[in-house]
Amino acid sequence: MTERLNTAETTPEQWLKKECLALRPLLLQAAGFGAVAGFLIVLQARLLASGCHQVIMEKAPVARIVPLAAFAALTVLVRTIFTLFAERQAAAASASLKSRVRSRLYRRLQELGPAGTVGEEAAPLVETVTTAVDGLDGYISRFLPQMVLAAAIPLCMMLFVLGVEWRAALVLLFSAPFIPFFMILIGKGSEAIHRRQWEQLSRMAGYLLDLIQGLPDLRMFQAAKREASEVARVSAEYRHATMAVLRIAFLSALTLEFFSTMGTAIVAVVVGFRLLSGALPLVDGLFVLFIAPEFYLPLRNLGLSHHARMQSLTAAERIFRLLSLPDVSGYQGTSALPPGPPSIRFQSVTFRYGGNRGGITELDLDIPGGSITALAGESGAGKTTVARLLVGLSRPESGRITVNGADLADLSPRAWHASIAWVPQKPFFFKGTVRENLLLGCPSASEEEIQTALADASADFVERLPLGLETPLGGGGAGLSGGEQRRLALARAFLRQASLVVLDEPTAGLDAANEEMVGNALRRLAKGRTVLVISHREETLRLVQRVAVMTGGRLQGVMTAADFLDRVSLTEAV
Amino acid sequence: MRAIRRILSLARQQWLWMTGGIALGFSAIAVNCILMAVSGWFIASMAIAGVAKSEFDYFFPAAAIRILAIFRTAGRYAERLVSHEATLRMLADLRVWLFKRLEPLAPAVLEKYAGGDVAGRLRSDVDSLENVYLRVVAPIVTGLLAIGAALLFVFYLDTVAALSLASVLFISAMVLPAVTGRLSRQPGEEAAELSGKLRNLATDGFQGAEELFLLGAAERQAAEVERVSEQLVAAQERLARISAWSLSANVLCAGGGGAAMLLAGGAAVRHGTLAPAALAMLVIFAAATFEAVGPMAGALQHLPAATANFDRLLELADSALPVADPPSPKALPASKEISIRDLRFAYQEGKKVLDGFHLELAQGERVALVGPSGCGKSTLVDVLLRFRDYQGSVCLGGVEVRDLAADELRREMAVLPQRPHLFNTTIRENILAGNREADAAQLERALEDAGLSNWVAGLPAGLDTPVGEGGGEVSGGEGRRIALARALIKDAPILILDEPTEGMDAATERLVVARLAERTAGKTVLIVTHRPACLPLADRVVRMPA
Repeated sequence: MTERLNTAETTPEQWLKKECLALRPLLLQAAGFGAVAGFLIVLQARLLASGCHQVIMEKAPVARIVPLAAFAALTVLVRTIFTLFAERQAAAASASLKSRVRSRLYRRLQELGPAGTVGEEAAPLVETVTTAVDGLDGYISRFLPQMVLAAAIPLCMMLFVLGVEWRAALVLLFSAPFIPFFMILIGKGSEAIHRRQWEQLSRMAGYLLDLIQGLPDLRMFQAAKREASEVARVSAEYRHATMAVLRIAFLSALTLEFFSTMGTAIVAVVVGFRLLSGALPLVDGLFVLFIAPEFYLPLRNLGLSHHARMQSLTAAERIFRLLSLPDVSGYQGTSALPPGPPSIRFQSVTFRYGGNRGGITELDLDIPGGSITALAGESGAGKTTVARLLVGLSRPESGRITVNGADLADLSPRAWHASIAWVPQKPFFFKGTVRENLLLGCPSASEEEIQTALADASADFVERLPLGLETPLGGGGAGLSGGEQRRLALARAFLRQASLVVLDEPTAGLDAANEEMVGNALRRLAKGRTVLVISHREETLRLVQRVAVMTGGRLQGVMTAADFLDRVSLTEAV
Repeated sequence: MRAIRRILSLARQQWLWMTGGIALGFSAIAVNCILMAVSGWFIASMAIAGVAKSEFDYFFPAAAIRILAIFRTAGRYAERLVSHEATLRMLADLRVWLFKRLEPLAPAVLEKYAGGDVAGRLRSDVDSLENVYLRVVAPIVTGLLAIGAALLFVFYLDTVAALSLASVLFISAMVLPAVTGRLSRQPGEEAAELSGKLRNLATDGFQGAEELFLLGAAERQAAEVERVSEQLVAAQERLARISAWSLSANVLCAGGGGAAMLLAGGAAVRHGTLAPAALAMLVIFAAATFEAVGPMAGALQHLPAATANFDRLLELADSALPVADPPSPKALPASKEISIRDLRFAYQEGKKVLDGFHLELAQGERVALVGPSGCGKSTLVDVLLRFRDYQGSVCLGGVEVRDLAADELRREMAVLPQRPHLFNTTIRENILAGNREADAAQLERALEDAGLSNWVAGLPAGLDTPVGEGGGEVSGGEGRRIALARALIKDAPILILDEPTEGMDAATERLVVARLAERTAGKTVLIVTHRPACLPLADRVVRMPA
């Protein structure tokens, strides 16, 4: 189990800071190297100013300024090396953070997913695991190191300027604090808009995916042309929303630009008048002028990384929210499974979904060990809910489920799952070969077992595929017909050697011949196993001993298959 | 480069915004260089005048310095807004272009790409295109213009200084980006590919979470996600390191340029070809020109990744059309009789799904088609819809369907496909997708005939209930009936229903069959089914061979 975040006393930024704290050595190195590089700028400016002074004021020959120029070049070289180290350490810190967060987030979501508590569509979750995690980069590799530099370098430079011309230092001192002040002021406003923009981005992703997946349907109904103009409209909306954010976001850049450019300009004018009065040597005046733009540079960089920070924080917020979802109230039991085909009993079990999906209320149901029991009833009667509760995907709100007398809550979930083969209505296939998909549930199955399972599930069509078991499948089983997918999923269930088999409409989409074959296979499979099959199809019901009929989330009655079929034909006759 | 030219030409309607961004970017850099040059010259002149105790008219330069500072600030802001506006407008154009290109490719070409990947490609690739103008084209063009102008100015002051400045700028703006670009090509392509792979894995993992969980394969999937994530992060770190190199090398060039200006300018002053005050101007001006270079180095580094993304998009968008419309389509025949003779179709070479299939449907006749799964029933529907090309003959009213305009042909048909797609919107919108002009009465009737009325009436939000992604919020049977209502509301003369009662319980099935019997009277109807309850709908049952 991945541990859940404690949300009570943390905000997304605090969480992110804590994650970054683990990488402190790398981050401190990045900031330290950056600070040394910043100090070297002062030295470089002094050397250049001194060279200019000697040429302009003392009419020095070139030979006299060559050592100065060479020393300046050497300073630059050292500065270059320190800059490189600083950047590399920041990149390493970012890489480490992204890997760790992504792994944790993905595992957490996969854990929560089956219980349905994430309550989100797949596309935004995928967005969060991919794009949002990548988006954390700006915070750690740019914002955090820049924050240290923005505090250290300007202070150091101002002290040097103070040593030569206090009036210029005063200009710097007064203009600099405005920069973070306005930045924060404007930043607060745009943060809210920025969040909205992320939501829009996510919706834009889901919207396009939906349209493209539905393209065949759009074409059938001549709706594709109309949707193209919808794409244009939604994109335009996205542009308006983004520009609204940027108009404000760029205001902080404007503020920075204004104070740093104006500050430099005023320093130039102030220094100019001091020089005119003869109170200041040119070398000091030029030094101050060279330093002024560099004084504002770390503050400007901090301003730029402030946007990176906001982007990272919006991403962090989404990640944080998912990481801090409440734990699934999944089963935590440890008892071993009682031997033999499981005999299952539902005792006044209630489970409701939120919204307009059904559920079950106060359900009592017996599924004798070794029996084939069918669940029948209208769609929405709660048949699938019963199956989900039985296999342990959901946990009852009240009531209990027992297996051979033991409460499901006490059983080890791992042991329970290992004894189940489940074939849902829409079986899952990943992008890989037929073999890989078959072996998903039991990677160690032998070639012979695979062949037997394929034969048992009437999935012999695999042999006729051009590459047989090695035929690649697209995601979602693309390349196979609906019936073929179903039979492949059945083969996977056969391979599981489970003692409980749960099938949700196993023969839907199969023709009569196949339905019969699958029926025979089911009969073979049922030997020594407990089988629960959701179906209202006559051919399937003939196989079962008992039919549990459900209406509106309640059990209407349990009867023999013959009685049930009689009743159906009776109502049909009426 | 060809990819970029193609992008720009696709978005050519936005040329005014694009050139506007570049012009404003150039002015912002130019104004700053002038500001710094005037400041340097002003300070040196004031110092010379101070020592000589002479007069100096400081009014004009002091005012110019302050005005230039204001221009610079406003220009940058405008440049940012205009270039982002240009980018977003380009992106909108490209999205629409791509959607229109993908439309005729569905489903025959599109299905060959993984479901998650098509959307992932589309979104992330189109969005990464924002780099093409903002971080590639604009900085390069702006940078080249600014550097050209700056060199002309320095050349006017001193030739040696101009040559040395030109060489450091050349290394910084041309050589470094080229080297950086070359170095980042491979990791950039790798990162784009891994990113798509990661997206696929995560999509699979979330969509199949339940089964992976029960099959005990969740850990395996998580380990795979971690492995690809590590690779992606490593590729991204390599890109960041390359960019660190390029950044540091720029520091070296700018600093070296300063030292070179001092030497060249110092010599020129000594020879009397340069005014002493102009040396300070030269040194500080040279430093200011590097503002144009910084973004340029980054620009060419973005190039490979962006090109890889766009090449992927083009590969998808330029796929050959699975079914081409005839150059001069024949008029739609009045008769709705369908005649299929010797129809052959294969998805893969040598594996025929349909091989010499015959079927005659008279106008107004209702035929049920039964047969084992995989015998090509759904393929036949796709062929009738002209989603796939065919061999043999398929005629509507005596006219070969490949001679008709496909869209006009589809207008004549209302279809319930084997796997209908429910859009992530309300029940109402999903049904109205079949016919935008339908009025309330038609909608009511479609609901009624699809056996949905009672269910919808029982929902708190009624028709405005959302169906969720891929119809996940409604049951399979409900989703199918929504799709059936969508087909019925279209009210076309030809009706093709693939398993219309699949997933329905017996009572609903009886109701729907009775309604359909009424509704389909007089239409040409093809029902693909294997449910005996549906057979009374048909005048004739045709069995398809395996």
